[in-house]
Amino acid sequence: MNAPAPNIKSVVTSGAVMVVGGGVAGVQAALDLSALGYKVYLVEKSAAIGGIMARLDKTFPTNDCSLCILAPKLVEAGRDGNIEILTKSEFLELTGAPGHFTARVRKEPRYIDEDVCTGCGQCTLYCLKEIGDDYNEDLRVTHAAHIDYAQAVPTSYHIDPKSCLQLNHQTCGLCATVCKAGAIRFDDEQEILELSVGAVVLAPGFGRISDDNFRQYGWGRFDDVLTAFEHERLMCASGPTGGEIVRISDQEHPKKIAFLQCIGSRDATCGNNYCSSVCCMYAIKQATLAREHDPDAEITLFYMDVRTHGKGFDAARERAVAENNFRVIYARPPKVEDVFDGGLLLTWSDESGQHNYEKFDMVILSQGLESPDDAEQLSQAAGIDLNPYRFAATDNFTPLATSRPGVYVIGAFQGPKDIPDSVTQAGGVAGLCAGLLAKGRDSETVSASFPVERDISDEEPRVGVFVCHCGINIGGVVNVPSVRDYAATLPNVVYATDNLYSCSQDTQGQLVKIIKEQRLNRLVVSACTPRTHEPLFQATMREAGLNRALFEMANIRDQCSWVHMHEKEAATAKAKDLVRMAVAKACLLTPLAEQQLPVTPSALVLGGGLAGMTAALTIADQGFECTLVEREKELGGRTTLLSRDRHGNDPRQVIKELVRKIENHPKITVLTEATLANISGYVGNFTSTVEGVQKSLERLHGAEDARQRPGDNTLVCEQADNEADLAPCNRSTVINHGVVVIATGGKPYQPTQYCYGESNRIITQVELEAQLAAKKPLPAACRSVVMIQCVGSRGDDLSYCSRVCCGQAVKNALRIKELAPDTQVTILFRDMRTYGFMEDDYQRARQLGVIFTRFTPTAPPRVKVGKGGKSKPTVTIFDPLLGEDVERSADLLVLATGIIPEEPEQLAKLLKVPVTADNFYLEAHVKLRPVDLAVDGVFVCGLAHAPKSIDETIAQAQAAAGRACQPLARGTIAPEPIVSNIDPAKCIGCGACESFCPYKAITIFKDGKLRKARTITASCKGCGVCAARCPTLAIDMGRFTYGGIMAQVRAFNPQGDE
Amino acid sequence: MTNEYYPHILGFLCNWCCYTAADSAGVGRYQYPPNLRVIRIMCTGRLDPSFPLEGLANGADGIFVGGCHPGECHYQDGNYQALVSAALVHEMLDRLGIARERFLIEWASAAEGPNFVKIITGFTQRIAALGPLGQTEGKDPQAVRRDLAEAAEAARGRKIRTGLINASREMMKGRDFSRPVIAGLVQDKCGKALQEIYGGGSVGS
Repeated sequence: MNAPAPNIKSVVTSGAVMVVGGGVAGVQAALDLSALGYKVYLVEKSAAIGGIMARLDKTFPTNDCSLCILAPKLVEAGRDGNIEILTKSEFLELTGAPGHFTARVRKEPRYIDEDVCTGCGQCTLYCLKEIGDDYNEDLRVTHAAHIDYAQAVPTSYHIDPKSCLQLNHQTCGLCATVCKAGAIRFDDEQEILELSVGAVVLAPGFGRISDDNFRQYGWGRFDDVLTAFEHERLMCASGPTGGEIVRISDQEHPKKIAFLQCIGSRDATCGNNYCSSVCCMYAIKQATLAREHDPDAEITLFYMDVRTHGKGFDAARERAVAENNFRVIYARPPKVEDVFDGGLLLTWSDESGQHNYEKFDMVILSQGLESPDDAEQLSQAAGIDLNPYRFAATDNFTPLATSRPGVYVIGAFQGPKDIPDSVTQAGGVAGLCAGLLAKGRDSETVSASFPVERDISDEEPRVGVFVCHCGINIGGVVNVPSVRDYAATLPNVVYATDNLYSCSQDTQGQLVKIIKEQRLNRLVVSACTPRTHEPLFQATMREAGLNRALFEMANIRDQCSWVHMHEKEAATAKAKDLVRMAVAKACLLTPLAEQQLPVTPSALVLGGGLAGMTAALTIADQGFECTLVEREKELGGRTTLLSRDRHGNDPRQVIKELVRKIENHPKITVLTEATLANISGYVGNFTSTVEGVQKSLERLHGAEDARQRPGDNTLVCEQADNEADLAPCNRSTVINHGVVVIATGGKPYQPTQYCYGESNRIITQVELEAQLAAKKPLPAACRSVVMIQCVGSRGDDLSYCSRVCCGQAVKNALRIKELAPDTQVTILFRDMRTYGFMEDDYQRARQLGVIFTRFTPTAPPRVKVGKGGKSKPTVTIFDPLLGEDVERSADLLVLATGIIPEEPEQLAKLLKVPVTADNFYLEAHVKLRPVDLAVDGVFVCGLAHAPKSIDETIAQAQAAAGRACQPLARGTIAPEPIVSNIDPAKCIGCGACESFCPYKAITIFKDGKLRKARTITASCKGCGVCAARCPTLAIDMGRFTYGGIMAQVRAFNPQGDE
Repeated sequence: MTNEYYPHILGFLCNWCCYTAADSAGVGRYQYPPNLRVIRIMCTGRLDPSFPLEGLANGADGIFVGGCHPGECHYQDGNYQALVSAALVHEMLDRLGIARERFLIEWASAAEGPNFVKIITGFTQRIAALGPLGQTEGKDPQAVRRDLAEAAEAARGRKIRTGLINASREMMKGRDFSRPVIAGLVQDKCGKALQEIYGGGSVGS
């Protein structure tokens, strides 16, 4: 490895990755890659990152505000020195090989200099040319010079070259006149960039269903037929109607709303045979919100099948339907008709064949997700294959890899999916890229370095106040010079000035100079909001040698000049008050130590099934030690219960290969017949005791050195003498590790329903899998097979949907049809949840004559079976078309049973992580942190998280591995210094803080005979609940101290007593 | 309105929801009365019960606390803890004979700029109607502020805080976060300590 092979041009592995697409998947991938030590080029077609998620009002199933949870990620990406955001850019061509590609990118001009633009919005205000506001689905207008949305990153305006009067006719240029920052560049030109990258991640998202599809349902002809995305904008407070759902035709609130599902999905006429997976759930969300907007609204949802198969989705849907009195109809109205009094007429035939018609005030078209409009171009540029639906072609066992090595795909372009699955894939792809480019890690990144901090402990407060005009944003309302002069009179203020734009690059340089010249030791910036700009000023302070905690901001724009535009005097008075309060607090600020805690660079993975092995391999490939703990004698887990996937591959072979890789990997230590007996510590520094047998394999591949680094896994087990003699030693093993991945898996539910166990002709789908792979797959003279879905699931015994059983039933039905085409196969189901491309199997099964009959939970199938272990069962089911019970004798009755997780209680208690009522581990955030648990450094993947398919399990395991390696790659963890501090002299050890801390970040310890509380800095998030509840005020919060807040309160006092 | 009397309102807004809502009201240029002065805290769970009392003692005519909607706390349950502190504040205002309407705790999610504006506009009108502290109460403002400073001191005291701890514990156990239930818990757990200070029965005039 060290000697370069002659005649081969030695190439250095790149430490950079190009991510194409700046939606939530791409942004997350960029952030994860940066955190793993890679430079990222984030290539975005539009003028801002954020993608579709930025346009959503809320997100299901929690109805969180979409932009609120997304915006911090966008800002983080915008600020990250290792993420270069290339907007208005298109990926053209990729040459080279994995590890050292060259990517060509065309960057279109913005006509407004991103680095100079302050985001003040004057250009839009004065721009004469109106254009449709694409962000608002053209439901309102914006101007040629505009920003896509208020929170857009980069926070820079841009000019639409197609409509700008100056660019097209040289007849305007007003924006250049009014731009105080001088950011307008009419001579801006297109650039072609050549980027050296080691890997490429495609995350272009999804495309728009064609208008023809919408028109079929009256969209474009009838004002009150809206696409779901249009409806989303109507619901949003920042949308075209300020959050009012009104009919476009008459501005009235609709009283009867219908949702039509599967628009552009499951529809052969438009070529999109697949299911888009997300629309069933988002329709429920939209319907719920519509009811919130108008509690009198009557809402009807037309479904083909209700496919709410995600984690917690069924529960959320059922609650929503019950609480809001939604009417759910299984039908697909073919069109929308206009009737003359302004109503919209829907006709449909229900399952009993009866025709119905009804009038609605508004019809929402739940549009599906299509492949990106430029999928072909992208596939050519990247040199990858597409599937028949123009999505990126991927393999079931390498779900994130495209046909070209080194090029990966995530998000909706990999197949229609929701936000958590996209975010998961982003985490996974970061792990894979870090594995591919392990040698390039940290080679192209920059780390911000700052001068040594000045010790200010002996200094009196010397406060500098900088009052910002923000162009005319503040200065146009607030009398900035008078605020500046007032600030200069405040106690401890030694310097006060005003700036046109405090955030501009040149002002930052000025700030550093002034801090040094004036020997300032506290900084108050009176400008916009700390939420977006505090980090910028704090970085500047650090450059000037000041601790970043010595900073305070007075929000005189977002919360003053912008909201009191017509009350200049009152706004100026308010600005003075806010500055006075900020200065009072600033005087009491103290430097806070930046904590740097070391990290043990290794991982512990619990569970040696598909998820655990994939996670372990993805961690080890990135160069970190990994211990894999498996309870059973052999690795493999329960994937081996499956004998074929829907593409014809044998999962058991794949598992075998994976086990071989694991056992041969120099960085992986496998402990079998082992369980976790104890674990203590926190992120970066866990110590675990594992009881069981160690397969001491590392010597097989000469990894003697791997064991000798101090602080590494300390294995107490003796070494075996030779490789044939992997002497198991039954001792407990103590392992030091930085992170934990839980992959403890799940198992099939064991049914008692439907006479299971009374005849060998009644089996589960899992048993059928084994049988179909055996020599005699089916009973002799097998003429009729009946399958029953949801056995024990969806409220029967298990409350949830197990997601995979419908697909498995269809797959096995097809296998039976393949083996014996004349066999009659009947599937009794509630909703066929063959989401995504599995829908193809469903359609094929129907074409091959498989009979699908829906049943309701109130009228489930009934099974009778005679005495004797071989007798044939009889199944009775109500047929809605015939309107009567139908009895059918089955040679084989197959029960689709769900998945139950391995009992999590003990482990959850040890790790202090929450589990759901259904015993699945509860992720830290269902949308944006799908593999992180609430306790830092602990991650989850596979069936322990929720039921999921093979490809989803693999992607999630790769994500857990990618996320888990972040602290390992950094080598240290730096918790936010706004943590709680406990004064031991005041602490009485009552333990209230410990019990109320949501993060287990406070523990009680014995100090001699006394009980005292101690903060675990690494876990504390700074909420301050402990401080508010401490009976002796022994706890204080960094930067938000009791004294500091009290100083603000006192300074609030309007000095003149009135 | 502003010519006759200008209500002084102090707000404590959590960083993640209400403070963000206030910012987004600005981005949307929604206008509201300029009476509010805001102190940013990371979470309403940080709200020490003494803060609002001190605020009133220090010249405020009304105090607003704004956090995330129930169940949406950026941490986990800080806003429920804030309800416990708030219940104590209301209880003390009752006992001091100060209009409890002078203290408001409400929620606005980060997306709800307009909702924030509605809340603040309504609250400002409400305080304007009540008049300067002491007016509607028919008390000497100086005396009221002195009472409030003493109440804040009591809220820093161990007895009351222990009562709050117990009320919080019960709340977390019962998982009923409705305001009347929490008020009941606080009355129950802090009752004795409050009686020692103020004597007599619970809810004032």
